This record gives sequence, C-alpha cells and structure tokens, in this order.
Amino acid sequence: MSDHRVLGDNPFEPAPPAEPAAPAPPAAEQPPEPSKKVRSKPRAQPAAKARRPVPDIETEPLGAEAAPHPAADHPPPPEYGRTLDHEVRQEAARRGLVDEFRLVERWVRERIQPEPPAGERRRLPLEFLWRRWRDIAMRDRSDFVDEFGRDPMYAARVEPLIRFIYEKYFRVELEGCEHIPHVGRGLIVANHSGTVPYDGAMIMYAVRKEHGSHREVRPLVEDFVFHFPYLGTFINRIGGVRACQENAERLLLQDQLVAVFPEGIKGIGKLYRERYQLQRFGRGGFIKLALRTDSPIIPAAVVGAEEIHPMLTKVSWLAKSVGIPYIPITPTFPWLGPLGLVPMPTKWYLRFGEPLPFNTEYGARGAEDRILVNRLSEQVRSRIQEMVDERLSRRRSVLFG
Amino acid sequence: MARRKKSSTQPSARSFDPGERVVAVTGAYSFVGGELIKRLEEDRRYYKVLAIDIRKPAFPLTKTQFHKVDLTLPTADAELSGILKREGVETFVHAAFLSAPTHNATWAHEFESIGTVHVLNACGEAKIRKFILWSSTVVYGAAPLNPNFLTEDAELRGHPRSRFINDKAEAERETARFAKENRDTTVTVLRTAPILGPRIRNYVTRFFARPACPTLMGYDPLMQFVHEDDAVDAFKLASDEDFAGAFNIVGDGVLPYSTILAMMGKVPLPVPHFVAYPLAQALWATQVFDSPPNFLDFLRYLCVADGSRAREVMGFRPHHDIKSAILDFLGVAAERHDLASEEGRA
Repeated sequence: MSDHRVLGDNPFEPAPPAEPAAPAPPAAEQPPEPSKKVRSKPRAQPAAKARRPVPDIETEPLGAEAAPHPAADHPPPPEYGRTLDHEVRQEAARRGLVDEFRLVERWVRERIQPEPPAGERRRLPLEFLWRRWRDIAMRDRSDFVDEFGRDPMYAARVEPLIRFIYEKYFRVELEGCEHIPHVGRGLIVANHSGTVPYDGAMIMYAVRKEHGSHREVRPLVEDFVFHFPYLGTFINRIGGVRACQENAERLLLQDQLVAVFPEGIKGIGKLYRERYQLQRFGRGGFIKLALRTDSPIIPAAVVGAEEIHPMLTKVSWLAKSVGIPYIPITPTFPWLGPLGLVPMPTKWYLRFGEPLPFNTEYGARGAEDRILVNRLSEQVRSRIQEMVDERLSRRRSVLFG
Repeated sequence: MARRKKSSTQPSARSFDPGERVVAVTGAYSFVGGELIKRLEEDRRYYKVLAIDIRKPAFPLTKTQFHKVDLTLPTADAELSGILKREGVETFVHAAFLSAPTHNATWAHEFESIGTVHVLNACGEAKIRKFILWSSTVVYGAAPLNPNFLTEDAELRGHPRSRFINDKAEAERETARFAKENRDTTVTVLRTAPILGPRIRNYVTRFFARPACPTLMGYDPLMQFVHEDDAVDAFKLASDEDFAGAFNIVGDGVLPYSTILAMMGKVPLPVPHFVAYPLAQALWATQVFDSPPNFLDFLRYLCVADGSRAREVMGFRPHHDIKSAILDFLGVAAERHDLASEEGRA
C-alpha cells in the first residue's frame, strides 16, 4: 500500500525557485492551473516518512522534535502542516484532546492574521471591528464532533437545561433501566407523542445519567426537523440523527444504542382524545433493522408525555407551505404566541421492558419475510401498549402521578 | 507495435502483461490528470502514457505523448478512436472535467456531458480494456433527506438547476450505459469528495481563499474533503489494478462548516437563507460571485459520502484526514501570505 505512494511522489516538480515570483495574496483569484511555485520548500524528509499517518500520542516521545512555535521569531519550519500537527498533538497530550482544535485556531490566527500591535489599533478601526465580529460570530462553532455531528462540549453545555426538564419539570420516574445492555448494540423502541418531541431527549438523558454504564443513546429524529434552521443543527449537536435505514444501520453496527419512535409523525400528531393509543408502527422498518444488524429490541413506554400539549385539532393546509407536517391547535397555542409552546408540567414515567431477542430467534434472513416482519412489529407494538396501559392504570393524576 | 495493435482488437482475451500497459489520460493539463501522468511516468510498469488535452502539460514528458484533441468538437470521437487504436491503448482515464463552475454553461455542457459521450464512443470503438471516470460526490446533491453517509448505491440526484453538477451526473449516466453495453470493459467511477490541498485550484480552494465566507443562519452541515494527493492516489490505484464499479474517494473524518471556518480563521458572514439565494443569484448574474446560487445548498444540507467501499475493495487508504488536509492547505496559505506581506514591505 505504501509503495504506490513512494512511486507516486512527483519527480518532475521543479527545483525551488531562488526568488519566488510575486505571489498573489490569498484572497486573490488564481488561474485554475496547478501552480508550482507555491510549494517552494521541497519535502525535507523522504516521502514515506513525511506522509506516514499521524503518530499516536502515546507512542511518540514527547519533545523528540521540539519545534519552535511558528508564531515566534524563528524561521518557519519546513512543513507547516506536519510540524504544527505534531506540536498540537504534544500540547493536546498535555492538556486533553479537545483543546487541539483551539490550538489550531490560535495558530492560524497568529500565523495568517497576526493581531496588529496595540499602538496601531487606533489606525485600523475596520480591521479591529472585523476581528471583533469574527470573535462574536464564531462563538456558535463546535469544537469537536463525531461522525454524526454530536458535539460533546455543546451537549454538556445544554445538559443543565435538560436536567432541569428531567428532574424538576417532568419529574421523570425511571423503571427497568437494568434491561439496557451494558455493552453492545440495542434498539430502544418507544411510543412517540407530545407534539414537540421531548421524549427522545428524556430517554437520552435517563440512560446517560441513571444507567450503570452511562451509555449514550442516539435517538432517530423525523426528517422535517432538518429542514429548519437552528432546530436541526441543535438536535444534531446534542446527539439526534436523521431517521433513515442507512444511519440506523451504521450506528448499530458501531455497537451503539439507538432509540426509534416507529409511530413517527403520526405519533407526535396524535390528538388529545387519541392519547396513549399507539399508532401503526410504520412498515416495520425497525424490525428489519434489528434483524439485519442482529440487535435486541428493548421496548420502552413513556407515560405522561402525551398530555404535555393537549392538541385539540391540527391545521395542515397552512403547514405545508412552512415545511412542517401540521400546525397544532392547543388550548394555549397559537393563542398565547410562543408562550403557548410551554409544555404542561405533567408527571412522567419512563419504563424499559425486557429485551425481545427477535434477532437470535429469526436471524438476518427473517428481514426478507414481510409477513414475519409485520407480525413482529405488531408484537412490539402490543407489548409497548401493554406497558403503557399498565402504568396508566396505576396513575391517579396527570400532573402529580 | 504490431503485436500490440493486434492484441488491442480483442482486449478481454489478452493476457495481462504489466510491462506494456498504455494509458490515455484526458484533462492532462488540469491538476488531477497532470498529477496522474507524473505518477504514471514514474512507474515502470507503464509502457506509454497518452496525454490528451488542448494544452500541453507544463512538466517535462519522457514516455508521455501529447495529443491535442478538443472534446467539444463534433469530430472528437473519430479523432480519439483513431489515436486509441493506433497506440493500442488499454486503459483510458477520463479526467477532463471543470474544476469550478463557469458562466459559459453551453460550452460547459458541450465539454463535460457531450465530451464524455465522444470519449465513450471512441472507447467503445477501440474496445479498450479499462475505463476510469472522474466524478464527484456533489452528484449526489445536498438535501435534507440525505443519510449521513451516502453509499455508492445512492441515487445521483444532482441538482435541478446546476449545470456544473448535472453535467457530471449526465456523464455518469452515460458511463453506466457504456458499462452495460460493453461487458468486456472494466468501468471504474471514482467519485471524489471536494478536493482540498496546497496546489490544486478549484471551487473549494477559491471559496476558502477569501477572508470572509457566507454562512446560512442556523445551518451548520457536516463537510468532508479529500486531500489532493489522496485523490490522485486513488486514480493511480484504479489504473494499477482492476476494480469495477463506482467508489467514493473521501478523506477520513467530517467537520461542521463552522469549525472549518474557525480553523481557517475566516470571518463568517451569516445570512438568512431566504435572503441568501436571491442575493447569490444577483451576484452570480453580475459575475461578482464565482459560485452559482444553488451551491448554497452545500452550506445548508448534508452531502457526505461513505468511503468504506473504496477502503475494502480497492484498498484505498487516505493519508490525510480532514484536519491534516485543512492544515496542509493552510500551511501554504500562510506561506503565501508571508511572501505577499514581504513583497508589500519591499
């Protein structure tokens, strides 16, 4: 694998010009042909060594190649990318990995856009404003994301809010957390409700806080959320993933916990008089998913969520133009404006049932059998309905449990 | 020569002799084609390389022959097939595509879409053994309904109003038809993610060369790049060995757009999306802006491809992840900036 890289290293690259011709400033538009003069420093190391994958922090002796800080008065190191990366990694090993990005950012600023000296600041008002604006506008960026866009720093920042909702507002009572596996994949299947889907966030928080292994659950979120500015980005950053077979399969094959709400939009669009009547579970896509990826299904019942926004009716003709499936009409919305979106402080019960090991019973070939998929889907639905009904029968009050 | 000529008439029956491989590369003056030719020149398993373009490559050629063929001409296919038959070409790499959108949409269509038809006709007539097409992951299109990782089987949605993307998608469709009709030819399609690197000039590097970049308020899609060296590596790999089918050539890792801008030290200019599209349309029409308005979709929605198939089947291992690709690009940006400021001082 490595030899084609060595062979491929370009022998026709012209020798570094002694005096490079006037290069354009980075902002200027360049002609589309590959310009040779930009790489005026030839690679110092042999190609195989220079391009080897980034070294492991643990195995690399720290300070072995102590490079001067590029921003210091030293001559620039031969290869910025490589040296910088190495230095950043050394620093990151000392300070924890998440800071790596900050270091890169700082390096770029010092190197490419050096801060004007304090005395000159008055003469460059626009430059100064430009920098201020950049700092303000960049506040919303994320530092480090996984491949589905979850930003652990951002998630940690919004966690107090979710904790408040979980502990104080809905006072969630959790049962059956032991049914969630400590390792390996699992598909949590829950009922969906409440017009604005808080249940995904609550399941995520419950497992993260109260489960012995503090596992991360990735809830699959309806498509229409991702049409919206801010909302889609927010849900993505706290860990939500767009609901589709490909994403779910990839997550499960990585041995993660995935939460699905097979009722989908029909579930969150339930009217108040239809509460706790589980809708059709799609076309059984979640069963196919579980069988194909060999994951156990963990049924979950959420009680209390279906009363937070008692929806009397819904308007769909206007909603289509806005891009949402319907506009809910509740006793408070839209009459009170945004205030009407505040949910009722109901008492929530969250219960995980015993895992249903369909994957070991039927195997991956079962996913092809439509009748079997439909039957299993119906089994899961009735199991969750049972759990919901059982909890409902013991509940005395909507608001106080 | 005569032996090779004879064998080229029945390519599938010929035993594979690496010593006498003859490769033709279109787009030899452009970055991908040119870099590939440099690597093929180095490799002694290749006997001869044909560089096809309208301008002669700027680097010295030893075993490369330059042929001037204009793909927009209606006679290009006849001319090409004559060359292919005469030289006994067994592998054809079609990398003559625009690296950035152009205002001259009619010419771009003639060049990319019809040009590919000419190339495929010539290849079908000369019965070459292997055909490699350069495509891009932008042909999947950016949409809110895309899965986080698009596989090669995903629909090539393109974009309803983008010539730049649709011409590439059309070239892919033509190539798929060609593959169906010519079962003896190994057809490889390499869909590269947006290529980023210190030397390449394309719409990505042009976009990130500006001090400020527009962002759409409330949207922060994940993005993906492939380093220029890795992209050329994939072409070399595909011409060394035979891999039939389409492959996504992507670098490891994804980063949100805001993080990329922060890493590059750019100033974000947030614009609401309902303002941005008409504004970009106006700027594009007046030729102030060099990207058509529909490219804003890529700042809004996901278009990230899954490179696991190239990893498993081709054994393609990118040497740069997204972070080191950006750093490599930035290193040169820093150097260029230094030189510019020195010039200014002198």
